[in-house]
This record gives sequence, C-alpha cells and structure tokens, in this order.
Amino acid sequence: MIRASVAIVGGGVSGVFTAHYLVELGLRDIVVIEKNYLGSGSTFRCATGIRASFTSREHVELMKYSVDEWLRLSNIYGFNYLRGGYVWLLSNEEELERFKQYVSFQNKHGIPTRIIDPPTIKELVPPIREEEVYAGVHDPLAGKADPFKAVLNTAYRLMEKGVRFYTRTRALRLLVSRDKVYGIETNRGVVVADNIVLATGYGTKELLKTINIKIPLENIPHHALITEAFKEAFKPLLVDWATASYIVQTFYGGFLMGTDIPEKPDTPLINRLRFLYKITRVWTRYFPWLSNVNILRYWTGYYVNTPDHHPILGPIEEYENLYIAAGFSGHGFMIAPATGTAIAHWIIDGKPYPEIAGNLKLERYRKGRLVKELAVFG
Amino acid sequence: MEIDYRIYEHPIIRFKRGRRVRFYFEGRVVEAYEGESVLAALYAIGVRVFTWSKKLGRPRGAFCMIGKCSSCFAVVDGVPNRRICIEPVREGIRVERQRGLAEIPRVEDVEPVETVNIETDLLVVGGGPAGLKAALTAADQGMDVVLVDSHYRLGGQLVKQTHKFFGSKEYFGGKRGFQVAEELSKKVLEHPRIRVYRSSEAYGFFDNKVVGVAVKYPKPLNLVVKADAVIASTGAMEKGLLFENNDLPGVMGAGGAQTLMNEYGVRPGDKALVVGAGNVGLIVAYQLLQAGVKVEALVEIMPRIGGWFVHAAKLRRYGVPILTRHTIVKAIGENRVEAAVITRVDENYRPIGGSEKKLDVDLVLISIGLTPDTRFFSQAGAVLKWIPELGGFTPIRTRYLETSIENIYVAGDASGIEEATTAFIEGEIAALSAAIKLGYGSKEAVERREKLLSYLWDEYRLSPVVSRARAGKLKATVSEEEMMLIRGKKFGGV
Repeated sequence: MIRASVAIVGGGVSGVFTAHYLVELGLRDIVVIEKNYLGSGSTFRCATGIRASFTSREHVELMKYSVDEWLRLSNIYGFNYLRGGYVWLLSNEEELERFKQYVSFQNKHGIPTRIIDPPTIKELVPPIREEEVYAGVHDPLAGKADPFKAVLNTAYRLMEKGVRFYTRTRALRLLVSRDKVYGIETNRGVVVADNIVLATGYGTKELLKTINIKIPLENIPHHALITEAFKEAFKPLLVDWATASYIVQTFYGGFLMGTDIPEKPDTPLINRLRFLYKITRVWTRYFPWLSNVNILRYWTGYYVNTPDHHPILGPIEEYENLYIAAGFSGHGFMIAPATGTAIAHWIIDGKPYPEIAGNLKLERYRKGRLVKELAVFG
Repeated sequence: MEIDYRIYEHPIIRFKRGRRVRFYFEGRVVEAYEGESVLAALYAIGVRVFTWSKKLGRPRGAFCMIGKCSSCFAVVDGVPNRRICIEPVREGIRVERQRGLAEIPRVEDVEPVETVNIETDLLVVGGGPAGLKAALTAADQGMDVVLVDSHYRLGGQLVKQTHKFFGSKEYFGGKRGFQVAEELSKKVLEHPRIRVYRSSEAYGFFDNKVVGVAVKYPKPLNLVVKADAVIASTGAMEKGLLFENNDLPGVMGAGGAQTLMNEYGVRPGDKALVVGAGNVGLIVAYQLLQAGVKVEALVEIMPRIGGWFVHAAKLRRYGVPILTRHTIVKAIGENRVEAAVITRVDENYRPIGGSEKKLDVDLVLISIGLTPDTRFFSQAGAVLKWIPELGGFTPIRTRYLETSIENIYVAGDASGIEEATTAFIEGEIAALSAAIKLGYGSKEAVERREKLLSYLWDEYRLSPVVSRARAGKLKATVSEEEMMLIRGKKFGGV
C-alpha cells in the first residue's frame, strides 16, 4: 500500500505541473500514478500551441497567467518554449468583421492581438503563398513549447525532490467512505491519500463512474500528423479559420498539423483517409512545396470536451478532498500552468489562484452557470 | 584516374547492365546504367560520404541499401530527403548531398495526384519470397490479387542470394536465390489474376478497411485498395551495433553490402571485417570473396557460430579467420573506415584487456541480426509482442498466420527472422488461409495447408540452427480462441 498527502492520478502535463506547484508551495509528500508512460495520454499527442488570445474572461485570465508561467517554467526545467506567435488566416470579409470584435475584446483584456494584411503575413511566414491569404490576426505573445521535455524534465527533477512516480499503474476505481475519497485501487495495489487529484484526461468520466459521479465530458477523436524535419521555415503557429486547421513547425523541424473531421464522441481512435485528404488539401494550398514533403507519422487522440468548452477544475460537491483537472477541450497543454497552480492552491489554501479558476468547478453545470465564449476554436 | 568499383568478372552472377544513363551529381556528370540505383552508381565511382549529420556534421555513408534507414538522404531535382538507394537512375536528374537538416523543397508547381480506388480479393504488401509465393498461391486458388512493393524490382532479399538452396526440388533445391527470384517474379508479372505495382509504398491501413498505396513510378498515383484480405510480408531491417565511430562511411549492414555486390555488381570495398557469424554473416563473407574483396576476419561474440556449418566451411577453405569470442571495439578513420580494432571477450562478453588487434580494413559489415519490419502492423493497430528470438517486435498470430486484426496476415521475416525457405512456406500458408476463409479454398487447399504446417513445425524447424526461431514463433502464436478474446478486448487501448 502506498500512502501520500496528495495522490495525483494522471502523468501528463496537468498532473506533472500540479506536482510542481505543490512542491513550490512546500508540499513534497506526493504520488503521481500513470497508467502507461508519462505523457502517453494526450500531452505527447498535442499541437503544442500556447496562446492567451481567447474570447472569454476565464480563458483570457488563466492563459495570461499561463503564458508568463511557461517562460518561467521553461527556464527552470530547461525545455524549449518560443513566443513565435500565432497567425489566424481569414478568408473573407465576414470573418474579418467577426475577428475585429474578438480582437477588440482581447485588447480590452490586455492581449495584444492585431489585424494584419497579406504583406505582413508574408513577413511573418515567408514560405506562404501570398495570393492565397485575404487577411490575418496576429498574436505576438502566443507560442509553442516542447511537450516531451516539459513533462519529462519536470518529472525527473521532481523525482529528485522526493515526488514518487508510478508508471504502468492503472487506476481501476476510487475508494470512498462517507464524504471522503480515501484512495485509489490500482492494478498494482491501493494508493491511500488525504487529497486526490484526477488529471486523467479521457479516462476521467470512466473513473468517476466508479463512485457514481456524473461529469459532462465527451471524448472526441482528433487527428494530427507530423512531417520529416527541415531547417526552420517559419515561427508562428498558423490557423486556417475557415477549415479549422492548424500547422506549426516543431523545435525538431517537422511540420505538425491537424484539422477537424466529423467524429462521434467516445468512439475508438482510428486513422482515416478523410483526414489525410483534407489536411493535405488545406495546407498545400498555402504551401505548395508541402507536396514534396514526407509524412512521418499520423496519430489520433482525444479532445476531452465539456458543454462550454472550458475546463472542469477544482473540488466537487460530493467529496471535499477530490479535485478534478479535466475537460480541457483541446487546450489542456497550454493551460497546464494555471491548472497546476489552481489545484495546488485549492489543496493548500482551500481556494484557487488565479481566483477566476473558481468559476470552473463541476457544479457550474448543475447551477446553470456555463461559461460564455465569443468564439470557439480548438 | 577513373575510379570504377563495378564488378566485371564474377564466378556466379552475370551482371546484365542496361543502357547508359547520365545524371548530374553536384555539378558533374555521372555515367550509370539503367537499372542501377543512384547510390550504387555513385558508390561505383568512389563516392563514400552521402550526407552529414544534423548536430555534429559527421560524415555518413550508406548503411542498409534497401530504403529502410536514413543514411543516404540526398536532394534529387530539388526535393530533399530522398533515399537514393532506392531511387532509380534517370537521364538528367540532379543529385546533391545534404548537409544536416535540409531547407524546405524549392519545388512550387506540383501536379495533384490522382486517387484511384480499386478492389481485390487479396492485397499482398511486399514482393519478397513470402509475398511472391503468397500471390501465386492465392491466384492459383482463383483469387484476384494485387501485389505492391516499394522497390522498383520484385524479389526482396532473394535477388542477392548467390548460393544454392539445399533440400527438395519443391523448395528450389539446387537453384540459386537470384534465379528463383527471377522465376517467381516473372510468373507473378505474367499471371492474369495478379496486378503488380512496383515503386509503390503501402502507407497505411485506414478506416478499418482500406490500404493506401503511394505509387511513385511511372506516374504518381494514390492507390486506395479495398481488399478482403491482406498479407503483409514486409520483411526485415538490419540491426545496428554500438561501438565507437559506428557511423563512419564504410560501416554498413551486411545486407547492404550484399545489395551492392549481388544486385548492382559494385564492389563494396577492398578489405573487410565482418561482425557476426550467423547465416547472414557467413554467407555475405563468402560473397565478398566472390566479388573480389579480401575478408580479413569474421568476428562472433558468442562461443560458437550461429549459422549453418556448411557456410563456415567454405570460408575456412579460403583461409578466412573466423574468430569466436571476439567483437569489434571501434572503427578508425576520418571520412571513411581506414581500420578497425577487434578484441577477445570473456564468458561475460567483456573485452579481455591486452587482446586488442588492429585490422587494416575499409569495410566493416554488421550482421548481428535483423529485426522484423512491423511498421505496417504497428500503424494498423495489430498487437505486437517483443520476442528476442525473433529479432524484436512482431505481430502475434494464429497458426494460420492471421494477426490480431481480422483478415490481416503476416508471413516471412516480418513474422520473425528465419529463412527464405520458411518465408516461402509461410507465404503459402497465409495465402491458403486467406483463400479458405474467403471461400476459395478447396478440400485440397485445406489438406495442403495442414501438410505445410506439419512440415514446418515438426520437421524443418527441428534443426538446431532454426531451433531458436522455432521457440520464438511458438511464443508468437496464439490459439484461435485466444485471438478472438484479444480482438474483443479494449486494449487500454490508446
């Protein structure tokens, strides 16, 4: 039997960063359990983008905080993080008008986004075919980070500080008595803890079922691919708004790209030709030279979506010592610093920091207090 | 002075060179023969460094020669990261070497590639011994077959085998590997029920029902194949070995040297050290002699050689030292191998100080083992198992060679490293199984399959030389009932 003050279920960026912030606040009696290898859930599959340019107060505040923290954490743990910017590519007048509203909202909240014209887009993205762009939005403080080292460097340093990590350890069910969750039954024995954090991504719904807690999460398959590596060709992460597609060059040199195709919730992850046809059509329009580039890997993973596309954070009403950190709806990686900070403060102080994280508790759905966002883009 | 490493006199092979082709290599004109790969043509004129590594700028040479590693990336007609070992020479192409990471391609005008959807009864991925036999067997049972291979010629590794098969006539006893490859390839190409796509790479299994194939020549095509059954006989890859300077040009897989010598008629070097005395090492060492290369030594870390004695005997007759309990310490050289250091080892495989010997060689062949090429199975989501006796990961399968994905079969070295003969037999078993399951097989087919299984497990595999593979393949085989359970389970899955 393993005992700890805090047991974190889930060894992705959310779980690992939560452990970091707990340690920073002075708590080291922590156990992290992970069913496969660290990062194998969603973190190592993600698009690696980081931006504060959202259109809800909750997202903007938590991401402004996270953007600052990404810089600090990348220096502490020695992983790559670059504020290379985001560029949204817009294709017509209607989109442009809509984005002017978003930019206005963002500027009011201290996010320096701006509308840019095709020549400026070309400056920021030299290999792009200028004839194909109509207009764009630039977020200069947005960026990208290396998800592998963000998780692994951090985890290894935390291990040196005494945080215990158990990989290939799968949570089978939560163990409750009265109004407390006292432990987790795993495939390798029982973990008993005073506080339990579920940073379990697409496994959260199933795990909460074991104590009869309903949570409005949907696991939606999403697709991504990466090409062979090249010298740095452009820095920003690009979003093609009309087709809901993105492309970014990773630090290793490969072009990572993804796009939405119709998928039903809670279905198995399967490679689909439809994804390949769409993604290649979209990005070869802007970058014809991509036709001569080899795809190395194509993988599928889950977005864990909530009804208002905002995370579910913090304690639940039924059990006072169980904390949720899930439902990031495609933004779990970028918001992980805020996630970790909020959960750590909740556990130690009894209230979250940044404070606005308090708006994201599970109870908001029952109370009809869903978060409103002007524009939803994953 | 004209450097020419081409072989013009060979005791076994008559190299039929096609017509002259000229292409450009970093500004100069290179004369080659149609049918050669760009790498073979460059190797023939003495080019040894094909690329420089990303971080440290180390010179790199050719390693696998069959399009499975990343040693020979070059820019061909403005497109980087081309594997020139499987790039056929063509009139007027421009080839430049890459230094580290390449710039994005400079090509702008691109013709969209047509997608063609085809249907067939059986898709065979990989036209080596297992695949060729599978295609012919299935076609003879009345199935419509599509065979794809990423190389521009069929035959897999069989085209490089110069020694004669021993054993019954049924398994080509008395014939040389490359002759069998020619025969089978011809039969397959001429068979009315087999459609063949060469220079075509099966790039994945999609939507649980189709296989995407990227056809490169003569006209690029996206071929989407809907098949009732798939036999993936994707072969194997060379394993590397860790030692100082193991990335120097001149250190190559034994199979790579074989490809150069026996397929393209190019001498891989002048003086060689071969590391590993399994069948591949023993056979390739002998082939080096046939190609006019001096073999300074064959080292084997184990106390005994791993291959058939008959191959070792041939080497001993030529005075090639076969040193068991020996291994390589390092390769020496600036831009290519100039020497190698070997050492004796103790029972714990640790070097015995003071027993080091420096050999004057320009070629170090690594033949320490192959590993199954499981990329197709991995992408398709088949359950793989790590089995050291078989060389690494390989898909689990029923005795009928069906993997955990229904209607996807495995045969040949992809099912575990063994031999050409077992590849032929497995190809036949897999094809008969697909045929029987889809209603094509007659009573004879069922009987024939049982006969083959019996011969394979109860006779052929009882020889001590293949006993390790037999043990491995036992571990990889599950019963039909177990397989159904495995298919039904949600495999923690993601």
